[in-house]
Amino acid sequence: MAVSWGRGSDSAPFFMSRPFYPVVLWVPLCLAPAFGRTAKQTSVGDVQSSVQEAVRLAQTGHCQQALPGLRKASLRLSDKELKRTVGFAGVRCATVLNQWDVALDFLRMLNRDFPRDPEVLYISVHTHSDISTRLAQKLATFAPNSVQAHELNAEALEMQGKWDQAAKEYRAVLEQNPRLPGIHFRLGRLLLSKPDPASTAPEEARKEFQQELQIDPNNAGAEYVLGELARQAHQWDDAIQHFSRAVKLDASFGDAFLGLGTSLMAQKKFSDAVPPLETAVKLEPESSTAHYNLAVAYTRSGRKQDADKEFAVHHEMMQKSGGAGSEQGPQPPQAPQ
Amino acid sequence: MRSQCENPPDWLSAISRREFIKALASGLLYGGLSRYARALPDAFYPFEEVPPSVSGITWAHIAGKSPEHYLPETTGAGCAFLDHDGDGWMDIYLVNSGNCDFFNPNPPLRNALYRNNRDGTFTDVTAKAGVRGGAYGQGVAVGDYDGDGLPDLYVTQYGNNILYHNNGDGTFTDVTEKAGVEAPGWSSSAVWFDYDNDGKLDLFVCQFVEFSKSISKDCRSGEDAKRGYCIPRAYKPTASWLFHNNGDGTFTDVSKASGIARYLGKAWGAVATDLNNDGRMDLFVANDTMGNFLFMNRGSGRFEQTGEPAGVAYSAEGRPRSGMGVDSADFNQDGWMDLFVANIDMEQYAIYQNNHDGTYDDQAGPTGIGQATRLLSGWGLKFFDYDNDGELDLFLANGNPDDLIESLHLQVKYQEPLMLFHNTGKSFQNVSQQSGPVFSKPLSSRGLAIGDFNNDGAVDVLVSVNDDAPVLLRNNVGSQNHWLGLTLVGKKSNRDAVGAHITYQAGDLKRSRMKVGGGSYLSSHDPRIVLGIGQRKKLDWVEVKWPLPSGAVERFTDLPIDRYITIVEGEGKWK
Repeated sequence: MAVSWGRGSDSAPFFMSRPFYPVVLWVPLCLAPAFGRTAKQTSVGDVQSSVQEAVRLAQTGHCQQALPGLRKASLRLSDKELKRTVGFAGVRCATVLNQWDVALDFLRMLNRDFPRDPEVLYISVHTHSDISTRLAQKLATFAPNSVQAHELNAEALEMQGKWDQAAKEYRAVLEQNPRLPGIHFRLGRLLLSKPDPASTAPEEARKEFQQELQIDPNNAGAEYVLGELARQAHQWDDAIQHFSRAVKLDASFGDAFLGLGTSLMAQKKFSDAVPPLETAVKLEPESSTAHYNLAVAYTRSGRKQDADKEFAVHHEMMQKSGGAGSEQGPQPPQAPQ
Repeated sequence: MRSQCENPPDWLSAISRREFIKALASGLLYGGLSRYARALPDAFYPFEEVPPSVSGITWAHIAGKSPEHYLPETTGAGCAFLDHDGDGWMDIYLVNSGNCDFFNPNPPLRNALYRNNRDGTFTDVTAKAGVRGGAYGQGVAVGDYDGDGLPDLYVTQYGNNILYHNNGDGTFTDVTEKAGVEAPGWSSSAVWFDYDNDGKLDLFVCQFVEFSKSISKDCRSGEDAKRGYCIPRAYKPTASWLFHNNGDGTFTDVSKASGIARYLGKAWGAVATDLNNDGRMDLFVANDTMGNFLFMNRGSGRFEQTGEPAGVAYSAEGRPRSGMGVDSADFNQDGWMDLFVANIDMEQYAIYQNNHDGTYDDQAGPTGIGQATRLLSGWGLKFFDYDNDGELDLFLANGNPDDLIESLHLQVKYQEPLMLFHNTGKSFQNVSQQSGPVFSKPLSSRGLAIGDFNNDGAVDVLVSVNDDAPVLLRNNVGSQNHWLGLTLVGKKSNRDAVGAHITYQAGDLKRSRMKVGGGSYLSSHDPRIVLGIGQRKKLDWVEVKWPLPSGAVERFTDLPIDRYITIVEGEGKWK
């Protein structure tokens, strides 16, 4: 993340504390050299004077006057370098004028024509972040006690690892709307994500996921996590039931197919484990875990040739990744590209 | 369709969920090693530390830790129980670091041989014995390779290894060159076993990675990029060695012919065991950051590597772990040998139950061993019946190899406690907290050897500690039950009877044991086997199935208890 996140005060919603102004200030600071450079280059070219004038106005901070010309130019120009300059100037001016739709139009143009340009990607991140911050601010201003404000605040706190504060916010949401879908799921997830969780955390989380399913029986994620909790507790029947429901609810849920397959394997139902594991491999072809477990399931159900193929795929993946093991710890310097 | 709430459209939630699932899958959701209080004197606990002031073992390991963090500095060293002078009392051998391309200690370092004074104390006899080592020592394997009744020493090193032949007068002779078992490079554990069933002990030598001072990597971690010990992924794997015993004091390198050298690994621990009950000794080899090897002995001097299909190469997620110490035992007494391998923190150790069909299931989860070892890094280990109740318990020596680990991970410690699991006959119970203050002592444990140094039938434990003094533990509970100790002497089969099956019955208790080769980490155990019978007053019979080429089965009755006896193959009686 290029945008740094500030500390929340006790009174203000946490998401309000994102540093808004540095982002806005960054745009002109960043663009100044680009303008200078491109203006010089384009001054010798065959460029319409109106475009030059629009760029000059933008460069000198006269965005109100510059923006119409920049918009027109962005539609007509064929000179790529000049188009890029106009795009940057347009994003900057639209942002300054709070014309977010216009800013997004310029960003779309830039991303379409310069999809791998680091400067384009950089300004895109910042502009979206800026829009996000402004909208969050708007939400806090117009509906500070709304469910949505609490939810957004909880998410921001969760991102920062402020688990207890985030849980408090989620609970505030439930006080207002006890049947709002997704909140019990997030509370359960939060309980399991805390470092050094209490020994009661899995059970408390399980209850949250179960409550979630009472509100939203179609929540495949809740079924999946309940399956995973059962799997870790070696409650294989439970795990199989939850994973089976998860894959019925979401046929593209590769992790749930994998969980179902491995749980069946734990019950030594190797032939039964093959179909879900084959699906897991199809859905997640880059998952070495899925390939490995499929290979084991093939082996244990007597399909040696199939097993050998899957072990070969797994082996190749291990070779490419250099093996896994603990990722923590001292690493050698990266070889130059 | 997944509901919108579960799968929100913004990137933030998508990443959160991915990370969440990753953490869930890797079992990172629970934690916390218990810390325990004590009030009783040490002697009331199953294991009591015997301090150097009492034992006389004042020698200490020196790793020679340098700012450059050369990897061998954090991996040694091993230890052994052996009766070097044949007096019936276990002596102790300890391996030290030494001169090599990255370390030039002044004064020079040396290994140590301590003679058992038969009164709980030991005397350093290294100088007289002539077993001080040479290069940067790692491990030791004890075996009577020439069948003269005297245990010989094979010392593994970073640098050429050393074979010390026991002269029978308290001295040893370095016969490495004549024997042809130098195995240059970086060797770790070694195993004496008879792979071709010709009655002579052959030698398997684990080789770690390609390493030298000139190719040592500058590995760094943490926000301040401190230099630390490299994860072994930084180094190239290499082939281990298998030497065939020619029976004339020399060995032939059969690494290639046997199929062993075909597989490049990063081997730490190895154990020789018969996993399919075909009378041929197989090899289980723990690799670090690579899949483990299971070399199944197919006869005619050939091994087949079946680690992947057997299910012992990787974690359940299909990831290679950092395998270090190993052992093999029939922990569930179903007549088939099982496997154990200790890994590094966040990986959990693995206890592989034999499915009788060439495959294994990791029972770390159901036994509780996985959760208990989640934050630990394991090296030396051994299944043995510490309380002589007839069940095989499990002793683990732990310590993280990375001296920066505490700056990288809040829950993981550099020095870690020992662990003891009691086998209840149905499951394993972590009894570390109840087993003595030493189990709360943070240590950089590496090697572990078991041996009954006071001949009371309660098998004691020796732990070698990286860059510190070894820890000798006296077992205070084993002698509270009844037992019989066996010294097996092979005649047709190999002299150390590695591969022998022992079955015994005492009333309602029927148990079996197998004498495996090697195991643990860089270390070598007391060759005797202690059969625990709990509070039963009589041992009905003991049956010994000698290894091939003999394969003979002898049954003994009218046996004494609470003492050691010797059984010589083919004599039909004990003494």
